[in-house]
Amino acid sequence: MSPGPATPPFTGPATFTLEPWTSNAGGLARSAAVSLYIAAASTLLACTVGFAAAAYILAMPRAGRLVAAVSAATIPIPHLIGAGAVGLLLSDAGFLARILGMPDGGFPTFVGGPFWSAVIFEYAWKESAFVALVIVGSLARSVGGLCVSLYIAAASTLLACTVGFAAAAYILAMPRAGRLVAAVSAATIPIPHLIGAGAVGLLLSDAGFLARILGMPDGGFPTFVGGPFWSAVIFEYAWKESAFVALVIVGSLARSVGGLCDAAATLGAAPLQRITHVVLPLALPALAVSGLIVFVYTLGSYEVPWLLGRISPEALPVRAVRLFGSIDLDSRPQAMATALVSVMAGAVAIIGGLILLRRLRGLR
Amino acid sequence: MIPTLQRPPPSMRTSMPGGAAGRTLMGLLLILWFTLPMIPVALWAVAGRWHAPAVLPQTYSWEGWSSAASSGLFPALLASALLGAGVAILATPLGFMAAVSIRRLPRRYARPVEGILLAPLAIPPFALVMGMNVVLLRAHVPAAAGVLLLLVVTALPYTVFMFRSALAGYDDRFEEAARSLGASKAQSIRHVRLPLLTAATSRAAFLAFLVGWGDYIVTLIVGGGQLRTLPMTLASAASATGNEQLTAVLSLTVVLPPLALLTALLLTRRHGRIR
Repeated sequence: MSPGPATPPFTGPATFTLEPWTSNAGGLARSAAVSLYIAAASTLLACTVGFAAAAYILAMPRAGRLVAAVSAATIPIPHLIGAGAVGLLLSDAGFLARILGMPDGGFPTFVGGPFWSAVIFEYAWKESAFVALVIVGSLARSVGGLCVSLYIAAASTLLACTVGFAAAAYILAMPRAGRLVAAVSAATIPIPHLIGAGAVGLLLSDAGFLARILGMPDGGFPTFVGGPFWSAVIFEYAWKESAFVALVIVGSLARSVGGLCDAAATLGAAPLQRITHVVLPLALPALAVSGLIVFVYTLGSYEVPWLLGRISPEALPVRAVRLFGSIDLDSRPQAMATALVSVMAGAVAIIGGLILLRRLRGLR
Repeated sequence: MIPTLQRPPPSMRTSMPGGAAGRTLMGLLLILWFTLPMIPVALWAVAGRWHAPAVLPQTYSWEGWSSAASSGLFPALLASALLGAGVAILATPLGFMAAVSIRRLPRRYARPVEGILLAPLAIPPFALVMGMNVVLLRAHVPAAAGVLLLLVVTALPYTVFMFRSALAGYDDRFEEAARSLGASKAQSIRHVRLPLLTAATSRAAFLAFLVGWGDYIVTLIVGGGQLRTLPMTLASAASATGNEQLTAVLSLTVVLPPLALLTALLLTRRHGRIR
């Protein structure tokens, strides 16, 4: 459309045109690209720093509070002020250049430079505080539960795999007594964890069976149930899951292992060497798979930490179910968030475990 | 999972370190480990008076059983048995059909279908239940039906897995051979397919039964207290103090029937092998 007779721009009938889009399309596109680049780079940096800050705040009780206070303080600063401050900090003759004692021209041009560094720095600086506080706010309560759940799961898995492997080796090696061990461990498999938790409560509580057998005076027996290390919870999981681990290993090994042990013995391997160099490597895939199953199961199981655990900090499932059943309807979304955190933790564990498994297979 | 116990190779015996004494000690320790938590349960179930410093019960009685009977043991037993049976009846054929269809599908589609069917193993049950509870309430599904539905979903991975591993060693040509010898379709299913899949079917049904029989969290959240199963009764006894007898008795009523079932299954399997 040709520019018509010069008319004042805001009078006369309205006309429609694409000219503002096309006349300098290159400049428009370039600006869009620059803005996208700045946004992407700032977001990446802000999220990285923000996540690190959030992790620090959650992990360190004292110093973390200081970090939280400082980052919260940056939130109300307007970006205009932030931009001015960054300018004073990063410009050619700015504070940083003076501190570093850079000669004229030796300091890289951050402000107005080719990579928009000063701009990205300003956004990353201010928004990382925002990201950190959002992460801390959403996780603060769940993360304690996550740590507890991960600790319980890891300790139970380790113990269950150790005892399970020992039991499997015994079952495989001893024809008669091994059959008895196999029967006893198979019998624990159909016991629900709730029953196991009740039984472990009867066994390990303050005036429980073990305390009576050992003849411990009142108060002399360590608090396993509801104690600081979740010992009763871990014992219950290790007890039931070790039977599972043992049977998975026995099922996967039974056929192959005898002849190989014979061969190793002929070549002069001592009994313990045959266990660690022949049986263990052969059992490793089964051990890893069952360990992964145990870990993921333990992470998301409710009954045992509910019956045998502490009230505070609570494990993820306990917290989720408590919030879900609360009369306060506002706690429903919190319950769902807690459930999602444990679903995600399980997913991360599975993905990590599968990657490890693949690597394990590659090694062999 | 039902163990597949094979006779251990005799040559491995010498691989156990520690000499004869060490081996015996280790075996005893392992048996102690697996039975330890059930010892106080068995003692409390028949204990009358058992005050704190005494190692063994001072008097024995059936008190726990009568108090359990009066606090609703039998309705709870019935509810649990029905729930377990319902889950087994629904999840076993579903698992079989799923395993068959996974086997027939081209590999590209079979993998994701299998992944979806196994997914309930990866998701913590309480999270699954909390999410589904909202949906079930909106759809006005009755509590008992909701519990059954969710438990069938939870049991599916086990039944699918059982039938998958059974079908992996199953050769379709057995049925073809029977057909070529003149058997009708129904006869070939009845005399060939069913006997060959009996072991897997009973294993799958047993596992599905266990899912319903021992469930606590689904019944707790979706059942909303209306469904008083054995684990629900047990949980309220075990979470309060001073209920040792009741806890022990209820624990035994939960543990013993599946153990009896498992023994029966193993015995029939051994019998089948001899034939």
